[in-house]
Amino acid sequence: MDTLLQVLLNGILNGMLYALVALGLCLIWGVMDVINFAHGEYVMVAMYVSYWLGFLANVDPLISTLAGGALIFILGALTYKLIIHYTVGKPPLSALLATFGLAMLLKNLCLNRFTPNFRILSDTWLGDRTFQLGGLIVPLPQLVTAVLALLVIGLVFYMIRSTRFGWAVQATAMDREAAELMGINTERIYILIFGIGGATVGIAGGIMPTSLAVHPEVGTMFGLIAFICVAMGGFGSIPGTLMAAILVGVVEALSGYYIAPVFKYVAVFGLYLAVVFLRPKGIFGW
Amino acid sequence: MAYCKSFVKLLFVAAVAVCLALGVTPGQSMAQEKVIKIGTIFPLTGPVATAGQRCKAAVETAAEIINNKHPNVKVPLAAQAGLLGGYKIVLVHTDSQGKPDVGKAEAERLINQEGVWGLIGAYNSAVSMPASLVAERAKKIFMCGASSSAALTQRDLKFFFRTASTDEVESHEFVEVLKWLNKTQKKANLKTLGIIYENSVFGKHAAEEAKKAAAKGGFNVVADVPFNPGATNLDSEVQTLKSKNPDALFGAVLGADYSLMVKTMKKMNWIPKACLNYCSGYQDPVIAKQLGDDASYFMGSTGYSPQFADIMPAVAEVEKIFKTKTGGVPYDSDSIQETIALLVLAQAIEKSKSLDPEVVAKTLYANTWPSPLSLSGKVAFSPGGQNKLALSIITQLQGGEYKRVFPREKANTKVVFPMKPWDKR
Repeated sequence: MDTLLQVLLNGILNGMLYALVALGLCLIWGVMDVINFAHGEYVMVAMYVSYWLGFLANVDPLISTLAGGALIFILGALTYKLIIHYTVGKPPLSALLATFGLAMLLKNLCLNRFTPNFRILSDTWLGDRTFQLGGLIVPLPQLVTAVLALLVIGLVFYMIRSTRFGWAVQATAMDREAAELMGINTERIYILIFGIGGATVGIAGGIMPTSLAVHPEVGTMFGLIAFICVAMGGFGSIPGTLMAAILVGVVEALSGYYIAPVFKYVAVFGLYLAVVFLRPKGIFGW
Repeated sequence: MAYCKSFVKLLFVAAVAVCLALGVTPGQSMAQEKVIKIGTIFPLTGPVATAGQRCKAAVETAAEIINNKHPNVKVPLAAQAGLLGGYKIVLVHTDSQGKPDVGKAEAERLINQEGVWGLIGAYNSAVSMPASLVAERAKKIFMCGASSSAALTQRDLKFFFRTASTDEVESHEFVEVLKWLNKTQKKANLKTLGIIYENSVFGKHAAEEAKKAAAKGGFNVVADVPFNPGATNLDSEVQTLKSKNPDALFGAVLGADYSLMVKTMKKMNWIPKACLNYCSGYQDPVIAKQLGDDASYFMGSTGYSPQFADIMPAVAEVEKIFKTKTGGVPYDSDSIQETIALLVLAQAIEKSKSLDPEVVAKTLYANTWPSPLSLSGKVAFSPGGQNKLALSIITQLQGGEYKRVFPREKANTKVVFPMKPWDKR
C-alpha cells in the first residue's frame, strides 16, 4: 500500500510541475490560437538563468525563479512583437514554423555559448532534502515546486476570471475585432499574454535546477509534455490543463512502476491519443 | 537597393583583383596540397553532445600531433610532420545528433560529396552500426573509438576497426568484481543483480551481455529496468529498483540521465551494496565533480582518468593539447579512444606506404601498434576489427577521484564496500 501511495505521490508532484510548465502554453493558445513551439526552450533558458545566478552570484533557485520569470516575460513579449505579430492573420502554420525556428535559435545559441555540458547546482536551500510522512518519502524540492505551481496557477486563474484585465483578455480571445470596438487595446493584450505565458514557464524553469541538470536539450521533453497537457485539458482551459497535467504525472508514474519503466511515455501518449480521439477538444475544451 | 547591388559588385571586383594580384585561382591551393580527408561523425548536438564534442576535440588533437612536429609528445608520429612525406590529415566534422538515420546520411554525404578517404566515429553504437555499413560498401576504413556494443565487431566487416573495450568484456569484468567482493569482503553475500539501462542499441546490448555474464557467474537478475533517454524523471525506474532491492546494480546510463539517476536514488533513499557502470555518465569527470559526494562509491570500467597519470605517463603532454580544445576538461575513457583510433590509423598509413584502403586495412590487421595512450600500451585487431588488447580497470569514485580498485595488481586503493548509505555520508 505504501508503495502505491509513494508512486501516486511522485506522479502528482511531477504532474504539478508539468502543469506549471504547460500553463503558459495554455494561455497563449487560449487567447491567440498560437502554438508556441519554443515553449520547451523557454524552460531551458530560465534554467540557465537560475543556474548562472546560483553559480556566479550564489543566488538560490528559490529566489532566482523570480528572475527567470521576469526574463522569460521579456522574452515572451519580444517573441510576440518581433515574430508572432507578423504572422497574425496568416495561415496558422506560419506561427508554428516561426516559433519552431525560434526554438532552434535558442537551443543552438545556448549550445554555442554554454557548450552541451551538463550543469548541476549543488548546495541549494532545498537541495536533495526529503522528509518522512508515515511510510512515504516526500521530496522537498518537488513539494515546494508543487506549492509554487498551485500559487501561480491560482493567481493566473484569478487574474483571468476576476480582473478587468482578465475580462479584456477573455473578450480578445472570443472576438478580437469586437474587443477592439469596445476600446480594448488587443495588441497590448497579446504582448502581455505572451509575456505572462513566458513568465509562468520562466518560474517553472527557474526552480528546476534544484533537482535537474541544466543542458541545451533539457526543455525538449517538457515542451512536448506541456503540449499534451494543454491538448488533453482543452486548449485554453486553465483548470483543464491542471487536471490533465496531474493525470499525465499519475499515469506516467503508475505505468512506469506497475507495467514497465520504459512503458511510461507510451502510456502517456496513448492516453493523449485516446482523449483526442474520443473528445478532440480536450477534457475541459469548449 | 541599387546602392546595395553596386556595393556587392564592387566587393566582387575587388576580390577578383586581389586573387589575380596574388596569382591565386580557385582550387589551386587544394590541388597542390597533399591531404588525407577524414570524416568525423559524432553527436555534436542532442542529449549526449558533451561526449560528442569531447570526441571531436580528441580527433582534432590526434590530427594536430600527426600534422605537426611535437618533440615533447611521446607517441608514434609526434616527431615528424605529416604522413607519407608530407600528407596532412584534414578533418571534415559532421553532427549525427545521436540519431542512426542522421549518422548514416552524414556518412553517405562524407563519402559521396566530401570525398573523404576514411571515417571516424560515431560514439553512439546505434550510429556506428549503420554508418560503418555505408563505409564498408564504399570500401572506406571506419575507425571507431568509443562505441562499446560488442555486436559492432561481430559482423565480420573488413574495413571496421574499434580500439575500445566492449560491453561483453566489461560485463564479464563486472561479474568478476562481484565474485571478488564476495570472496574478500566480510558478509558481502552478493547474490542478486539489477540492471538499469537506456533503451538504445548501446543500453540494450549492454543489458544482454550483463544477463549472460550474470548467468554464467551464478548471479540472479531480479530487476531489468530499461528507460527512455532524456526522461523528465527516473522516479518509476528507481522505485522499481528499490522494490526489487538487488544486492548489486549494473548501469548503462549516459550523460544527464546518470546525474538524474544518482539524485533520484538519493531522493528515494535507496542504494545497492555495489553499483558498476559501463562507459557512461560515470566516466564523465565534469558530472562526477558536479555531483560532489553523491557520486562517491559508484564504480565503473575506466580506460583512462587523470588519476592514471602514474601508469600512463605519455598522456600528460597529449592532454595539454586536448585541454586547449575543451576549455580545460581532461580526457575521459571514451574521448581518449578517439585520439588512439586516429593515431593508430595514421601509423598504418605510414607503414603501408599507400593510400589504398584495402592495403591499409590489411596492414592494420597484420601488426601490433604501439599506443602509449592505451592502458595495455598496444593495439592489435582480431578478425571483425576488435582491439584484442583493449583493457580497462575498475575504478571507484572516492572524494571526487577515480581510484583504481580492481584488478588488485593495478589497484592504488581499497574498495569501499558496501556503498555508504545516503544518510551516513
